[in-house]
Amino acid sequence: MWRRRRDALIGMGLLLPSAALVFAFTLFPVGYNVWLGFYAKHSLRATSTWVGLGNYAQLLVDPDFWRSVWLATVYAVASTTLQIVAGVAGALILHRRFPGCDFLRGVALFPYMIPTIIAVFVWRWLMNDLYGVIPYLLGTLAIPGMPEAWLTHSTIMWVLVVLSVWTFFPFVLVNVLARLQTIPPELYDAARVDGASAFRQFLNVTLPQLRNVLLIVLLLRGIWMFTKFDVPWLLGFGGGAGEAIRTLPVFTYQRSFTYYQAGMGAALSNVMLALLLMAVTLYFVAFPPEADENDA
Amino acid sequence: MREGATRRVRSSRRRGRPVSAAGAWALRLGLFVFCAFPLYWMVVSSFKVSHELLAAPPTLVPHEWDLRAYRKLFLETNFWTYFQNTVIVAAITTVIVIVAGVIGAYGLTRYAFPGRTLVARLTLLAYMFPPIIMLVPLFLLAREFGLTNSLLGLALTYISFALPYALWILRAFFQSIPVELEHAALVDGANRAQALAYIVMPLALPGIIATAIFTFIVAWNDFLFALVLIGKDDLKTLAIGINDFFHMAVVDWGLIMAAGVMVTIPALVFFVAVQRYLIAGWGAGGVKG
Repeated sequence: MWRRRRDALIGMGLLLPSAALVFAFTLFPVGYNVWLGFYAKHSLRATSTWVGLGNYAQLLVDPDFWRSVWLATVYAVASTTLQIVAGVAGALILHRRFPGCDFLRGVALFPYMIPTIIAVFVWRWLMNDLYGVIPYLLGTLAIPGMPEAWLTHSTIMWVLVVLSVWTFFPFVLVNVLARLQTIPPELYDAARVDGASAFRQFLNVTLPQLRNVLLIVLLLRGIWMFTKFDVPWLLGFGGGAGEAIRTLPVFTYQRSFTYYQAGMGAALSNVMLALLLMAVTLYFVAFPPEADENDA
Repeated sequence: MREGATRRVRSSRRRGRPVSAAGAWALRLGLFVFCAFPLYWMVVSSFKVSHELLAAPPTLVPHEWDLRAYRKLFLETNFWTYFQNTVIVAAITTVIVIVAGVIGAYGLTRYAFPGRTLVARLTLLAYMFPPIIMLVPLFLLAREFGLTNSLLGLALTYISFALPYALWILRAFFQSIPVELEHAALVDGANRAQALAYIVMPLALPGIIATAIFTFIVAWNDFLFALVLIGKDDLKTLAIGINDFFHMAVVDWGLIMAAGVMVTIPALVFFVAVQRYLIAGWGAGGVKG
């Protein structure tokens, strides 16, 4: 009995530094942010005024806010879907061993490792309206209706999506690849004996096995794409077309540091937090996790 | 009947082979070009002379190789200062996060105590929090405590999203090490510290290294917090320092691409040197971002 209690104390003691840091730097700021959302506060001055739900009431009737929610949704849905398609395709390509397999695996992970700012600036250069190599190559194909410049109001969202897929699809690839490696080969042998085509095998063997990892990847990537600030901000600033990719996180940043409305910025962050909590709750209600043997 | 089916399967496999082999290589090539071409373009652009950089049509291989952009990067900008600042911030973050995270994850997986499941769930939730929702509070708190324009202040804000991530991944690593190994060592007369040093740590080391690299990369890549917390030029990190190159009177793409190469090389070296640890880490959840 005393041994059990001593163990519990040691366990809690070991956890204490982490718990204190997570509380101080993650949970407390999030709580503080909820409270800030009820104030009108200048980002740099110390004064603040209680406005209750005033910030939220103002957002409800602000067309710019709704537009930013719409743009963030378009961005999150398009880039998450394509990342998952590209990630699964990449994982299937790299699943079986072939000469140069390790090299290609390394290359495929690399876009995810380079700093966001470099990824975005390289793509701004690749897509440059005057000197970009990709618009040039696309131009040589002479497809009718192909835009000549891509970093413009009507097309910059596409560039944002493609660039984001390039940067973030390795996250999907690696998680799917790790799972693929654990699927017993007997399942495929059985399917083959039954005369299943490669496509049928993918549909009936691979996909069901990947279900759980795809669901968690979808949840994480969806949340992180919806709340992505640096990619749209770095792609859009310094050009009029930035307005066409002013997603909710960019809008939040501008409220907080262009207009210095810290209270409003906090309220916008709380909107994102609420959406995140809703998504996570829905996820765990729909797909309850199996009991963790270590949590007994 | 069965035999016929087997034969059909075999013959279709044989027939399909050359075509599917060519197709497989085409797919591999496609993946390679998609991932590598932007990086290739960054490298060749950094070595082009100014007029070739802006030439139409663009040249796929430079006619003339030139180090102008690199000279400018090291002699006329504060690139080296930004580089050092970024290493310092990333190192502080990594040390704090790994020390706290390893101890915490060990406690979380090896000792039963009330609320343990709740702690694990809160960690997972905090792992999902994107940086943008902590933008305003961390900025205001940093100002309150005089931690703006401070590399330490920047490192502390990175803890807010790096530590929950590290705890979550390390917990998975420690869970995968059987407790029975430790019990066996204890039965053989080792004490808890010896069991930890000789049994657990060697097994957990790949996971710890992978987590440390991911933590380092999270800090290395951050743009948002450096943007709002650092204003002094000699304290800027790479992300915001390179961002400033864009605000020069004329945007020098060669300079920006050279900076990209110089930031990418350390990551590349790091990455190749520890790739086998990375694969282990990826399997356990991957880096956040």
